[in-house]
Amino acid sequence: MSQSLRPYLQAVRSSLTAALCLSNFASQTTERHNVPEVEARTSPEVLLTPLTVARNENERVLIEPSINSIRISIKIKQADEIEHILVHKFTRFLTQRAESFFILRRKPIKGYDISFLITNFHTEEMLKHKLVDFIIQFMEEVDKEISEMKLFLNARARFVAESFLTPFD
Amino acid sequence: MLLLDYQNVLIQSVLTERFAADASPVSIDQTVSDFDGVTFHISTPETRTQIMVSLQIRCYQDLVRYGAEEVLNREYGPYVVAPEPGYDFSILVDLENLPATPEERGELVNQIALLKRNAMAAPFEQAYQEHYHLKAEASKFTSEEAPQGMREGGAVKVVQYREEEAIYVKASHDRVTVIFSTVFREETDRVFGKVFIQEFVDARRRAIQNAPQVLFRNDPPLELHGVPGVKNTGTGEIGYVTFVLFPRHLTPQRMPDVISHIQTFRDYFHYHIKASKAYIHSRMRRRTADFLQVLRRARPDHEEKERKTASGRSFKAGV
Repeated sequence: MSQSLRPYLQAVRSSLTAALCLSNFASQTTERHNVPEVEARTSPEVLLTPLTVARNENERVLIEPSINSIRISIKIKQADEIEHILVHKFTRFLTQRAESFFILRRKPIKGYDISFLITNFHTEEMLKHKLVDFIIQFMEEVDKEISEMKLFLNARARFVAESFLTPFD
Repeated sequence: MLLLDYQNVLIQSVLTERFAADASPVSIDQTVSDFDGVTFHISTPETRTQIMVSLQIRCYQDLVRYGAEEVLNREYGPYVVAPEPGYDFSILVDLENLPATPEERGELVNQIALLKRNAMAAPFEQAYQEHYHLKAEASKFTSEEAPQGMREGGAVKVVQYREEEAIYVKASHDRVTVIFSTVFREETDRVFGKVFIQEFVDARRRAIQNAPQVLFRNDPPLELHGVPGVKNTGTGEIGYVTFVLFPRHLTPQRMPDVISHIQTFRDYFHYHIKASKAYIHSRMRRRTADFLQVLRRARPDHEEKERKTASGRSFKAGV
């Protein structure tokens, strides 16, 4: 892990642990409804101040806490066109499987590549520190995966080009 | 299987089977597809011992203009018959008059399996001849005083082999330029294509000094200036890949191999783009499974506790 990545992930981990303090809270505006307040945004008094942890202008995490839910949005590093395509393909692949990921939001919020929504029901049936571990591990591996895919693509392209041109030699 | 074969494997296998010494004649009616929307039809129209192979190719009119008929007559001379309706070119092989030795039969099979390659080779062969001619002409002058027309080279030959894609061949006294136009429908293909093409462009600088020069651009190259059917859409959807064949590729000995090989470029290129996409997809699938595994760890295990009745006996529920 590079030197600047460690404190970044540490900051995200601490902020997430602090923010994941959720309780069951029924909607104040609609009777017998219980909705994630961070999504509904109907009662401003239960929303907390959003927090951004940024490593640089291309990599950042937005944490939006509320009384019964928390939304985490991640912007993944995209240095060039290839990485942009790969990130797009990968996040789309994940969001299409949001059903089995429970906490994955089907659509990222604007300006980010992927969003998670954790409600009090999730924290009730899953271990909180393990959820934080999951987010951190996701952030770590997604970067690794993207750069590996990019390397693979370049290596393959090189090999393919050379084998096509060799018979001319 | 990194490089694509030049021949059509299905035709090859069907004919090898039929041409075998102990094969009994059967009736055949098979349609075979190849790259670039080419269709073959293998049939036994009259008797079981006469196999007809027909070729249907989009750009046959273009090819005829560049001398495809001469090339095909040269290759298949005794077998050529009038084209079957709906097809452009047909050959008829009589099983009772096959060459005697197995080697010669194998050769004939390969020859027929190369039908598409031979049809497409015509403009290239013509360009080669044109190049030899221009070279002989040019050797009479020094480079300064050569007439303008000579340095420009011959006319551009256009082979519109797919709906929106074409091959342009242009001969001049010191090289033959082959330009492929290729369309990328999707953003992903475009980006992947760019990565691949960049490696083609760089390969010459890095590893294979004697390879043809490869150039890539999104707007039509200057050679295609004024050629009908070349549009500059300006959207970057169409790419132009230029191969410059130098005199060392243009010797008569190397001509058949170079022509066969360069024809496979488009299919080879797109095949590897698709293959990389497939690999990346399977990789993402594996990685997603890993993530799910991590998330599953967040769920506490439900340990099976021993339940007891009031009197102290244990029991299992739901068995």
